[in-house]
Amino acid sequence: MTEPRSPIDDAVRAAGAVVGEHAGVTAVTDYGDPEAEIAASRRLGLADLSPLARVGFRGPGAREWLAARGVELPDEPNRARVQPDGSIAIARSWTEALVLGALRGADSVCDRLEAGAADGHRVRAYSLPRFDGMFWFALTGASAVDCLAKLCGVDMRESAFPVGSVAQTSLARLNAVIVRVDLGDMPVFHLLGDSASAEYAWASLLDAMQEFDGRPVGLRALHALAREFE
Amino acid sequence: MKIMPCPLNGPRPIQEFTCGGEVVATPNPDRADAETWADYLFLHHNAAGIVREWWYHVPTSFWFIADRNTVTDEIVRTFLPRELFRPDAQRDQP
Amino acid sequence: MMRERLPPPAGSRIDRSRPVRFEFEGRAYTGYAGDTIASALAANGVWCLSRSFKLHRPRGSFGFAGDEAGSLVQLDTEPNVQADARAIEPGMRVHAQNTVGGLEKDWASLLERFERFLPVGFYYKAFHKPRGVWNWWEKIIRRTAGLGRVDQSWTPEYFDKAYAHCDIAVIGGGAAGLAAAAACGAEGLDVLLVEREPELGGWLTYGRMDSDDGVLDDLRRRIQALPSVRVMTSATCTGWFADNWLAVTQGNRLHKIRANAVIACTGGTSQPAVFRNNDLPGIVSAAAVQRLIRHYGVRPGLRAVVLTAGDEGYAAALDLAEHGTDVAAVVDCRPDPPTGPMAAEAEARGHRILPGHTVREARRDPQRLQVGGVLATRVTGRGACAADGETIDCDLLVIAAGVAPAGGLLAQAGAKFRPIGRSAVPRLESLPAHANAAGVVAGAATVEVALAQAEQAGLAAAADLSGSAADASANSARPDADESSATWPVFPHPDGHEFVDLDEDVTVREIEDALAEGYDDIELLKRYSTVGMGPSQGRLSAIATAAVTAAARDTTSAEVGATTNRPPAVPTRFGLFAGRGFQPVRHTPMHGWHVEASAQMMTAGLWMRPAYYGRPDERADAIADEVLTVRRAVGLIDVSTLGGFEIRGPDALEFLERAYTPSFRRLRVGRTRYALLTDEQGVVVDDGVAAKLGPDHYYVTASTSGAEQLYPLLLWYQAQWQLDVDIADVTSAYGAINIAGPRARHVLETLGTDIALSPEACPYLAARTGKLAGVDVRLLRIGFVGELGYEIHPPASQSLGVWEALIDAGREYGIRPFGVEAQRVLRLEKGHVIVTQDTDGLTHPHEVDLGWALGRRKSFFVGKRSIEVLREKGLSRRLVGYAVPDRRATVPDEGHLVVRDGEITGRVTSSAWSPVLDQAIGLAYVAPDQAAVGSAITIKAAGGRLVEAEVARLPFYDPENLRQAM
Repeated sequence: MTEPRSPIDDAVRAAGAVVGEHAGVTAVTDYGDPEAEIAASRRLGLADLSPLARVGFRGPGAREWLAARGVELPDEPNRARVQPDGSIAIARSWTEALVLGALRGADSVCDRLEAGAADGHRVRAYSLPRFDGMFWFALTGASAVDCLAKLCGVDMRESAFPVGSVAQTSLARLNAVIVRVDLGDMPVFHLLGDSASAEYAWASLLDAMQEFDGRPVGLRALHALAREFE
Repeated sequence: MKIMPCPLNGPRPIQEFTCGGEVVATPNPDRADAETWADYLFLHHNAAGIVREWWYHVPTSFWFIADRNTVTDEIVRTFLPRELFRPDAQRDQP
Repeated sequence: MMRERLPPPAGSRIDRSRPVRFEFEGRAYTGYAGDTIASALAANGVWCLSRSFKLHRPRGSFGFAGDEAGSLVQLDTEPNVQADARAIEPGMRVHAQNTVGGLEKDWASLLERFERFLPVGFYYKAFHKPRGVWNWWEKIIRRTAGLGRVDQSWTPEYFDKAYAHCDIAVIGGGAAGLAAAAACGAEGLDVLLVEREPELGGWLTYGRMDSDDGVLDDLRRRIQALPSVRVMTSATCTGWFADNWLAVTQGNRLHKIRANAVIACTGGTSQPAVFRNNDLPGIVSAAAVQRLIRHYGVRPGLRAVVLTAGDEGYAAALDLAEHGTDVAAVVDCRPDPPTGPMAAEAEARGHRILPGHTVREARRDPQRLQVGGVLATRVTGRGACAADGETIDCDLLVIAAGVAPAGGLLAQAGAKFRPIGRSAVPRLESLPAHANAAGVVAGAATVEVALAQAEQAGLAAAADLSGSAADASANSARPDADESSATWPVFPHPDGHEFVDLDEDVTVREIEDALAEGYDDIELLKRYSTVGMGPSQGRLSAIATAAVTAAARDTTSAEVGATTNRPPAVPTRFGLFAGRGFQPVRHTPMHGWHVEASAQMMTAGLWMRPAYYGRPDERADAIADEVLTVRRAVGLIDVSTLGGFEIRGPDALEFLERAYTPSFRRLRVGRTRYALLTDEQGVVVDDGVAAKLGPDHYYVTASTSGAEQLYPLLLWYQAQWQLDVDIADVTSAYGAINIAGPRARHVLETLGTDIALSPEACPYLAARTGKLAGVDVRLLRIGFVGELGYEIHPPASQSLGVWEALIDAGREYGIRPFGVEAQRVLRLEKGHVIVTQDTDGLTHPHEVDLGWALGRRKSFFVGKRSIEVLREKGLSRRLVGYAVPDRRATVPDEGHLVVRDGEITGRVTSSAWSPVLDQAIGLAYVAPDQAAVGSAITIKAAGGRLVEAEVARLPFYDPENLRQAM
């Protein structure tokens, strides 16, 4: 009853989401047709990753504190680096980090970091409750760049925004963090923003996706694709 | 729309920013006479030429300072506030 | 019935295998796929498309390029469609615009007879005297003026916007644009080529060339071979803004294009000549004739007269003659014998040429709404011609007065044009940074020059982007020296009707009258006479306006100058500006629950909040019931919308001391304190509660309306103070639930928590963290409503679970949710102020009895100095509570005035019927001498009724504050 719940739980269930547990994470596994969702992901898919772990840290001691816990933060702000365990470390500024848990769930990095928050506080690495404060979607597939161009003023083409790029910008007039970390050769944009506006963001994205025949996809499709690329 | 070179995020459309007005030195509130204090609160220089302004990048909640030519609207330079502001120890310490 | 079209290669854009049937003014016509409305009608011998805006004169298209008001028509659900740019569709029903009773028998055309009563500036002069006459005129004007008609039953279409980025944007896909794009593409640059028409090529697709040397095919091949060149056709650039931000419309989408550099190859606009009746349908530009022939295979007329001031009139004459139109005469208004290759060829072919002549007036065909002949006479001087001459019958009058550079977009970007020579055609003088131009807009008179300019512009742009500072002079190849020897063809007529601006029905005389009245600045002239204010935005009238003005003022067009160009460059549908209308909304974690529980939702900033639970017709009862439940049992309200900030670090206390008015030095961990915030002017900005959760960790709340502005403000302070502190906005990360009422503690205990809740362990103003319903929560023992209450802040993702658990656990205690309306009543009974409702942009703390919240011993906080100054000056008003003793009196509304002896002394800021006190209560500003408890005040309520009220002691309810401390 008091299990963590995605901020768009109502919306995805209304869209026919099958919610299930995978590697300790309760999330949308599929919308009834995992096979079609794999194809859709390659074309244009939108997945709710909000149930996956994520945590932020900020402060003059954040970088060092995270490094001591094995998180390799990119040196420059607005860059992302994939960690050996599949989690993604994002430098939001010189002193702020956002760590996204691995797609395969059952993440230990974020849990470990969160458990050490009090310790971080002492060295001025202040934890930020991003799991609750931010939604996390993944926009995938060949048309993702064109779809984002309808919502966001930053050039998202690969020439200007290669893998590992981060843009903190306006998405459908909502403050958002956009991170490009592809799954194999499939473009994947991670989108994070104010959790209170998650339903608005989800609806805006689906509306923009229509002309590209995009659709919501579940984690099962993304896991299958991830295995394919391993 | 104009491009603002943000010290944190690089060049971005001006819609992502709000202007916080001119950077003005705050007179010492305890010692300044009433006239100086009123000037500080209510009068703006509105100079023609290069003006130093506060700017805020909304998506990152990031304040910085821009030198902008109000005649040509050219943004000459942007930089972090700590170039101008240092932690001041004297105010209100017990 | 359709006239025979010309055989191919004429008619490159039409598909003769696909006839398209459509209607115009209720009559059936047939065109071909690829036709525009206007070309299909021209093919059927119909030139007149609409009536003019002011005088209801018959009008058609002059340029057949989608530029003018004359070709605006009405579709069933869409007004103001450019007939010469919109493709016909099967079954399309087209109507003329601006007619009363039809195009042929428009009774409003009688207006022409009253023209002398519509002098220049009539908008400003007429209809206002005698008093009240406007009301009568307005109905008439609304019926006869204006353009299309809006279909009220219309359903919205899907419009949207998209961003695009490129190294180089080339505007215009004619010869110059193609060459420029190819030059940039060959340098490896990412190029976006924007063309207004459905195909690339511009003039090359319809103009008459000396020899067909395959220029167009060659250019198209070069473009196709370059993958880095993207082409957009049927795409119109309507605005060129700072830092090369281009607005390009295509279909129902507005593209917002950011280019590092822009090359404008926007070509030119064929200009009308000014003479009597120059507005008749069937008077068209030389380019229009060539478009009709080559694009649409339309034989434009049977017998044509050509009026020219240059070589292009001869080219049109040759084209017409070759396609079966009898050319009666070429009237050349230049004094010297004609020069140029086309003129020579025309002469060689034996065309009749009248050098040094002009068309003094055009005459209407008595049977049809179009031109029927001209009076050609000798030019006798600048703007003058003989009264007598030769009458020539014709059904087509072709005008080649000259081509003006289509420089509107370039001018928006800051380029300067200057009229030169006797013809006073504007020439590009200077360009803004990272911009270039080539082709007709840059003064090129031949394809060869245009191509050379384009090549050079492309290379210059490439050099500019690579950082190798190109020589400014290399920005644009110098234009041709070719200059017309004639002055601009403007021939005033004693009987008038020589239209300078066809969109707005502005004649030579009206411009002269406006100048005589003193409106001699070109910008004033525009606004007074409305010249240049129609859909063509001066593209077809600016040169003639400048010429008439220069003649009247005895000066040059260069001295007269030009009006400012502003976006949009061409008429643009509102839907394109609106797009998807993104409006972010914020939902609390319990949003879905509220909706399920039939809450009436209201907006609070970006948030949605329950106003009350129940049907709208039960509103008053629902609110009263919610209030009484809180007072007697227990209620809970979703306050997740409250702002929440984490203030952490060694200087956290120091930061709070400076930013907020009270002192937090003596605040212990586990306690909360009211946190008031004023700005530098001493004005109350926001309030909340600061909870000390650790030695250098505070959790501070902010009001729903204030949080969004407060976070940047706090960060701005920190940017200046540079303290060792972190300020984090965690508003959305925490839900918040206020459970209040005498049974609140029972509910929490029933639910189960590891937080000790006894009054001793968790007294009023305590702050605790612990588990509630198995969830880690922050629990603040505070309340806004004056009962025993707890504010529970669970993580957002688990807030709904906690909410539902509270509802379950509270069932036995009669719990129910309450909304914002009940909360407003409850807090009003407690006399609590809501910042921004009970305060305004001038309110300082002493006016609202918040002096107690100012840290007296603090040497500094934001606003301190100003508050002291204001206090010394003495109060000018005070916020007080009032009660209305007469229970039958009108309940005042917020905003109603407090009056005394006919003077306003204040206003009501909050008002409600208190179900507990059973009377109307409220808060109001009053004069300081009315503020004592027991003072009588008078409120001017709805309908001017005076309501007697009495200043009351606050709080109204539970004055000893025993209940919240239970």
